[in-house]
Amino acid sequence: MMRHRAGCLRSVFFGVLSLSVSCAKKPDTGADLQVTSLGSVEVTAELLEIPGEIRNDPMYDYAHVMQYRVLAVHRGQVGKDVIYVGQYNPAKPRDAAADARAGRIGGNLRQFRAGDVHRMAMEVPIDDHYMGGIINRYFGQTEEPVYWALWTNRAAR
Amino acid sequence: MMQRMILLFAATQGVLLASAAFAADDPRVAQLAGEVAAKGWIVYAARSTENGTWDLFVMRPNGAQRRNITNTPDHEEGGPRFSPDGTRLLYRRFAKGTVIHHDLWGFQGELMIAARDGSAPVRVGADKEYPWASWSPDGKKIACLTMQGIQIIDLDTRELLRQFPRKGIYQQLFWSPDGQWFCGVANARIMWTVVRMHAETGELTIVQEFQSCTPDWFPDSTHIIYSSRPAGQHGYGFTQLWRSDGEGREARMIYGEDGCHIYGGALSPDAKYVLFTRCAQDGGGSEGAGAPICVMRMADAPAIGGPSADLRKVHPDAKEAPVLKLADGWEPCWTYADGEAK
Repeated sequence: MMRHRAGCLRSVFFGVLSLSVSCAKKPDTGADLQVTSLGSVEVTAELLEIPGEIRNDPMYDYAHVMQYRVLAVHRGQVGKDVIYVGQYNPAKPRDAAADARAGRIGGNLRQFRAGDVHRMAMEVPIDDHYMGGIINRYFGQTEEPVYWALWTNRAAR
Repeated sequence: MMQRMILLFAATQGVLLASAAFAADDPRVAQLAGEVAAKGWIVYAARSTENGTWDLFVMRPNGAQRRNITNTPDHEEGGPRFSPDGTRLLYRRFAKGTVIHHDLWGFQGELMIAARDGSAPVRVGADKEYPWASWSPDGKKIACLTMQGIQIIDLDTRELLRQFPRKGIYQQLFWSPDGQWFCGVANARIMWTVVRMHAETGELTIVQEFQSCTPDWFPDSTHIIYSSRPAGQHGYGFTQLWRSDGEGREARMIYGEDGCHIYGGALSPDAKYVLFTRCAQDGGGSEGAGAPICVMRMADAPAIGGPSADLRKVHPDAKEAPVLKLADGWEPCWTYADGEAK
């Protein structure tokens, strides 16, 4: 009887452990209600490059165009592997970036770093969805449209 | 030692003589005040000492006969523009307590049109409608800057007569007095670029790149006045008042002063005088209580205020300029209607 109970406990213990390990290993897809519903395009993409310095000027707002490699397209159509995305006031965490000029933008990303992976809800082209200064160091180098990032979450590769 | 003191004294006097003069008792300033006294009216927004909100005021260009023409304790008002014939005013009315953003104000609040004395105000649209509205030359239409493009609206019927791409222009759109052009601030090669757009073809010309904004037209429709914070200054730098022709040629500083940001550039109807504001903080003061409105002769440009040692090295040709300092305000506009000196 005791042996049987010990066997049951061992099974439950390993079951829970197995479930925990399984949960811990589950990759962070970055999916949430906003990123899966806002805008017309949704991708998971690797931030390849932030050209120039991210400015932090409380007097002036702007979008900074960054280069991404698309890893997965979840909604909408994206014609290229490499895309250009305007991130509004990128010195701010995404959940603190929304204002009267940018409208409803957000996400759980705290800081932009090249090499990180983001799940983003976007619109395109940026000029149809945003009126403000744009730092675009790719100007003249590419004819590709610039996307406007509405929601940016961290995601696992 | 004595020789050194004499040299120092001479150098100081030289700087003072080459500086813009503000003192009301300076005979050159007094002469300028007398010269402009009867030349029409200036309208501007300012904080009312009576009710604490932003109201519209008018005054003679020498600062006389100042009066509050809206006096609305339940609203804030700003961005007034006389119609081309000087009989009406276009401005924006904001909910009480609204912080008027120096870059976004044209998107904020309701478009209002009133008689030039502020009477008979009419609300043209709802909150945020008709953004950056500016008069057509005949005063019968307005041009607006929207996300969808530049829109021409008939003021009587509110009918959308025409819409065309804004081509990167994102704020401060103004229609030229001859109706042939628009000016505005755009993302061209870089952001904060003052541009000119042909009203029919949409052709865009870069007027001034890099940290330039608040453009407005000279009465001749061929020159543009704007604020610019040039590169090469120590630290953040200071915004200066500049002019160029519509092709971006002949860029020349009008007025600069280290320690002050110069905004609100506007011309008298004959372009002989220039209006501007001097603000210690960047942005022009719309978030606070404005800044001193100043009047200067265009013939005295380029002029430099204060010691501004660095700026004088860049502009050794700066002239001695009397500058008339008027009331604190924001976004002044000048008409010669009703009172031009004969």
